[in-house]
Amino acid sequence: MEEILRMEHITKQFGSVYANRDINLEVRRGEVHTLLGENGAGKSTLMNVLFGLYQPTAGQIYLNGKPVKITSPAEAVKLGIGMVHQHFMLVEAMTVFENIILGDKRTKGVFIDRDARRKEITELADRYGLEVELDKPITEIAVGAQQRVEILKALYRGAELLVLDEPTAALTDLEVEGLFEIIEKLKKENKSVIFISHKMREVLKISDRITVLRAGQTVCTVERSETDGAKLANLMMGRELAPSHYEKIEQPGEPVMTLDHVSYHKASKHSGLNDISLSIGRGEIVGIAGVDGNGQSQLAQIVTGVLTPDEGEADLKGSKVAKFTPNGFIVENVAHIPEDRNKMGLIGNMSVQDNIVLKSTEEPRFSDGHGAHLKKKAIHEYALSMQEKYDIRCESVEQETRNLSGGNQQKVILARELEGNPDLLVAVHPTRGLDIGATRFVHDSMIDARGKGCGVLLISADFDEVLEISDRIIVMFEGQIMGVYPGKNPPIEEISLAMAGK
Amino acid sequence: MDIGELILSTVRMATPILLVALAELYSERAGLVNIGLDGIMSFGALAGFMVCFITGSPFLGILAGAMGGILINMIYAYCTISLCAEQIVYGMAINIFAPAVASFIYRIYFGVSSTLAQDTLMKSIAIPYLKDIPFLGKLLFDQTPMVYFAYLMVVFTAIFFNKTKKGLNYKAVGEYPKAAETLGINVIRQKYVACMICGALAGIGGAYLTTCYVNTYSDGVVAGRGFIALSAVIFGRWSSGGVLLACLLFGFCDALQLRLQIMNTSTPYQLFQMIPYVCTLVALAAFGIKKAGPKANGKPYMREER
Repeated sequence: MEEILRMEHITKQFGSVYANRDINLEVRRGEVHTLLGENGAGKSTLMNVLFGLYQPTAGQIYLNGKPVKITSPAEAVKLGIGMVHQHFMLVEAMTVFENIILGDKRTKGVFIDRDARRKEITELADRYGLEVELDKPITEIAVGAQQRVEILKALYRGAELLVLDEPTAALTDLEVEGLFEIIEKLKKENKSVIFISHKMREVLKISDRITVLRAGQTVCTVERSETDGAKLANLMMGRELAPSHYEKIEQPGEPVMTLDHVSYHKASKHSGLNDISLSIGRGEIVGIAGVDGNGQSQLAQIVTGVLTPDEGEADLKGSKVAKFTPNGFIVENVAHIPEDRNKMGLIGNMSVQDNIVLKSTEEPRFSDGHGAHLKKKAIHEYALSMQEKYDIRCESVEQETRNLSGGNQQKVILARELEGNPDLLVAVHPTRGLDIGATRFVHDSMIDARGKGCGVLLISADFDEVLEISDRIIVMFEGQIMGVYPGKNPPIEEISLAMAGK
Repeated sequence: MDIGELILSTVRMATPILLVALAELYSERAGLVNIGLDGIMSFGALAGFMVCFITGSPFLGILAGAMGGILINMIYAYCTISLCAEQIVYGMAINIFAPAVASFIYRIYFGVSSTLAQDTLMKSIAIPYLKDIPFLGKLLFDQTPMVYFAYLMVVFTAIFFNKTKKGLNYKAVGEYPKAAETLGINVIRQKYVACMICGALAGIGGAYLTTCYVNTYSDGVVAGRGFIALSAVIFGRWSSGGVLLACLLFGFCDALQLRLQIMNTSTPYQLFQMIPYVCTLVALAAFGIKKAGPKANGKPYMREER
């Protein structure tokens, strides 16, 4: 089969971070080529480079053998590249018809020639089995139909190469079937499809070839016929891991937090919980493994009192939780390292010292009259001691936290959350975006907390991290628990498959 | 009360508000909330007055008003589009800055004196045949050309946004700029064009006050009409027809309060002066609740955002 696209040595840097590093990709005419990789592996960045939304820092793109420079989406469209973004690019206030013809430069004339355009679109839709109601506003049609509009939009602009960025993420199973039928029809018409996903089952079903990306780099390209789910999972996670150097606890203490058949927005696969039962004992680290967006955020928010479950009960330190409020949980000595340190963990415009005492301003050592008057001097001195203890590197503790590096911001959070010797620590992606040194520091701090009898719930999309420090591993998929595994000598293959929903 | 007189003055009062409300409509359709209309108007009013005073031509005055409006609005455009600054803050800055500059220039040129300089007012031009329609003909078709221009703009705007490709693309920029960009629409350029249209129309609205309405320039000549226009856009649900009706209502209130002032000398005139503003408040409270404007209104657009 002849080649339609070749991307050579593509590198894209955001500041000092490499989103893509020396990536190679080759796509043939009439094939479905899957880009497989975890969150943050660089799939979407690579496709945004292809579509002209980002300019690559280095590298060259060839289309039909000719070198091209794609400076804008308009240019990409002209070259026959169509893209269906993960978040649909549809103007909600307009109708399906208007969305399809938007920005159309092929026809001259000032006015919209409705009849001719409609005929053209209807013919195209019939050919590919893309059923759409042209006169409905976007807000009134289902997600699956919106996706068909996006595909139709690309085909209407003459796309030969169609990029589908996580197209199944928001679809129901039935809609996924429909999408796959459409993809088969596209293949028959000799169009090429780049399919982006991290869902193993779908990838195995639809792909001709698969290119695996990890941490912004190409791992390899394989033929579908020569691989299977387990092999791909290993390639995707990069499983040549040295054994953990932390000691694993096998006999935890009494439970500090127990969830009993807890559900939250059950019907939602990606932001709900379905019948979750688990317990976290004193002095153990329970790691939740799983691809991002399978209910982990909701779990973290329930065990910290931010969300109230729809069904089920929760026991905190032996007594039933009657009311879910963040402050109630803080009073019960639950610490939280939230998933997004800038949005939830810190107040960026406030100083390091203010952020450190944020939870304890009412204590007599920091204020008179339950926070009526802050003892600035005591706070400052306390912050200095924390700066030393947690090795927070900043110009001064009066510096605004938003100017700190990610690692040092995380240390500020650790200083605040761990200093009270919590009974339960909920840590969500605690090392996301941190370098090796800072990661090690965070892990050591969590192990220390465990040693002091704290129960730790670690939620992380980084499988290495979960393996490294968890005493018990729970795999979550689509809001459900897929299995519980020991942290000592974990069955890695089995866990990888469970993470992919198998 | 003479009904004919009332209608005549309603149309006359509504015109500047209508021009400026259309200016805001073009701005918001591209996602730019511009609350600096008052400022742009006062600069347009001065530019129009000075050129009309010097050349004796109200038409050149209107042209100068448009140019002045564009000039002032480019400050807002650069800050909000290229620097992604907060639109409300810069709109307010224009409101503070532009009238002050206008008044500064006026004093440098004319000096501080108690007598106001006077320019030539634009003359009414009756439209043949249409003016012969009984009763209404005299009221609606014997006006200054600027009145006709404003009403033609309403029709043009309606056709532009609903029937043309360019209008559809324009609206997409205000609704979902990223989607527009992926479809090959130049979002940044479209936003600058929107600011030029907005500046020009608002400047013309200001110049109308000093070349068609009164023949002098004084500080505060705009008298909050920019803000009334702003609420006319919301009241009119972001459609040119709706905006027209809203402006006619506000114009009517203005006309009515003037008549009432003359008729009831015993009542304090300030009470009547309140009418257009109270009407604006009531209209906003009643119709401004449901958000129906362009979705990306007020949000800055950054291209390579992760």
